[in-house]
Amino acid sequence: MRPTLASRNRSRSLFASLRLAILSFVADPQWLVPSMIAPVIFGLVSFELFKGSGPWFVLYAILGAGMMSMWGQTLYGSGWATGQDRELGTLEPTLSAPTPYLYVVLGRVIWNTVSGLLGGAIVFVVVALSYGRPVPLQDPLSFVLLFAFVMVSLASVGIVFSAAYVYTRYAGFVQNIGEFAFYVGTGCMFPVVLLPFWSNPISLVFPPTWALDALRYAAIPGYQGLPWGFGWDLVGAVATTCVYLAIAGTVFVRVERHVLEVGNLSDY
Amino acid sequence: MSNSPVITTHDLRRVFEARKGFLFNEVVRTEALRGVDLEVARGEIFGLLGPNGAGKTTLTKILSTLLLPTSGTAHVLGFDVMKDALKLRPRIGLVLGGERGLYNRVSARENLRYFADLFGVPIESRDRRIADVLERVDLTEAADRRVEEFSRGMKQKLHLARGILHEPEMLFLDEPTIGLDPKSARETRKLIRGLVADGVTIFLTTHYMFEAEELCQRIAVLSKGRIVARDTIQGLRRLVGGDRTIEVEAYGFEDAEVDRLKRLPGVTLANAEEFGPRLRYTLRVRTAELTHEAIREALRGHDELTVRERRTGLEDIYLDLVEEEAQ
Repeated sequence: MRPTLASRNRSRSLFASLRLAILSFVADPQWLVPSMIAPVIFGLVSFELFKGSGPWFVLYAILGAGMMSMWGQTLYGSGWATGQDRELGTLEPTLSAPTPYLYVVLGRVIWNTVSGLLGGAIVFVVVALSYGRPVPLQDPLSFVLLFAFVMVSLASVGIVFSAAYVYTRYAGFVQNIGEFAFYVGTGCMFPVVLLPFWSNPISLVFPPTWALDALRYAAIPGYQGLPWGFGWDLVGAVATTCVYLAIAGTVFVRVERHVLEVGNLSDY
Repeated sequence: MSNSPVITTHDLRRVFEARKGFLFNEVVRTEALRGVDLEVARGEIFGLLGPNGAGKTTLTKILSTLLLPTSGTAHVLGFDVMKDALKLRPRIGLVLGGERGLYNRVSARENLRYFADLFGVPIESRDRRIADVLERVDLTEAADRRVEEFSRGMKQKLHLARGILHEPEMLFLDEPTIGLDPKSARETRKLIRGLVADGVTIFLTTHYMFEAEELCQRIAVLSKGRIVARDTIQGLRRLVGGDRTIEVEAYGFEDAEVDRLKRLPGVTLANAEEFGPRLRYTLRVRTAELTHEAIREALRGHDELTVRERRTGLEDIYLDLVEEEAQ
């Protein structure tokens, strides 16, 4: 079946947005810090913290520092890009195009996901080099695949955050407040089972919680994470990510309509 | 020029609501448009004039699908701006003035390429089309420079290039020459005329009266959210009292003298202004018969009397209409 004109335009818009995100990234030296330099620092500090704890703890160093760098790049970057559209005044001309804004956001999210993965890979290399021996992995293939899937789960939340930035210029304020709680609450730095029991239901609303727990199960032998284990973690991660992507699709249509009603597109 | 309207609005209204107060519980409502009825014919340059805050940008954004009206209807190229926005957008272009609205870190060419993809400009002709519009706005040499290095005028040209990139049938221009030097502004006006020659309909808002006078076939004056006049410039001249504007200046006038001025044939008294010790009356004159001698005769005894005449300009018309609305 040949793609329709509308779907071709949408995929073109997605790739145009991805291309512009890469060009803007390359052109702006400030991105070097979160994407290239911060992962090196996170990796070194994390390794120093865990190095006396045995070989498997090297993985804690990698996962903690890797998530720290990926989390910011992917989740925060996706929302922030839309906030920047407001700041630059490009939200209006972009929304005046015949393509739904969601596809523009998707293009950026793809780039943020890739650059987040790059940050994670840098952490892995830095810790592995500091360790001086091969990093032990229980299931290397699952580890790599889940590492990438964690990014997708983070990106799905990032898309919903982007919608908030379209909705209101105050989204950055809300995101800044929720940043640390989200980071800890989803288990980016340490497993959510270490958090108070009452906070677990809140954590489980977010796809990265499930994906990160699955990743730890795949990487670390004897890991004691969420009680239902690896399989259900995986199901939960896929399901919640799909729910977030579906929410994003619906929310964007409504948010686009809302901002045209309110007339705050040029506010920043 | 076909007479079929490409824009029709009926009783178009827009109310903005802003929340204020400590808990944002106080709602402040501002009526930006208060029942706008408008028709714009295919192939014309239609000018919209009005003071700051009159509702010009609000109307432009509604017609270009970037804002929804609170009530009323608006159709552009036969599409309902509320229901058919996605179908309408590829066929219209929008140029909002100012320094914002561009990706500053990348080049002008990359900005255009991005929007060309968003607007579905055919891939096979995209690069050629980008080169064409860059040449049309005289940005070919700066095409690969980052936009952050551009002057305000260059950014304005790039806005214009983006607006015409996808060859729209209808172009909305919100103060397109703001920030341009006189030469660039003249080239922009030439470009606008060229677009009309290519069959594009232009909806232009501007604060520059000479620009509207030079470009527009028909003009509407918007004041406090209402269209207070809509006609050709000639028709607007008739509306405000005549083709001729005569300024009469002296060191004060007696009431009886002012009465005599008002009773002169074909005269409408437009306004009175003080210039230091001197007072100036501006008269709009409908008839060719009234001579300067007749005015001097009505004000005999004023040795220092000055009488000057000029053709009633759009600025005169605009000020008459806006001031009348303000009163």
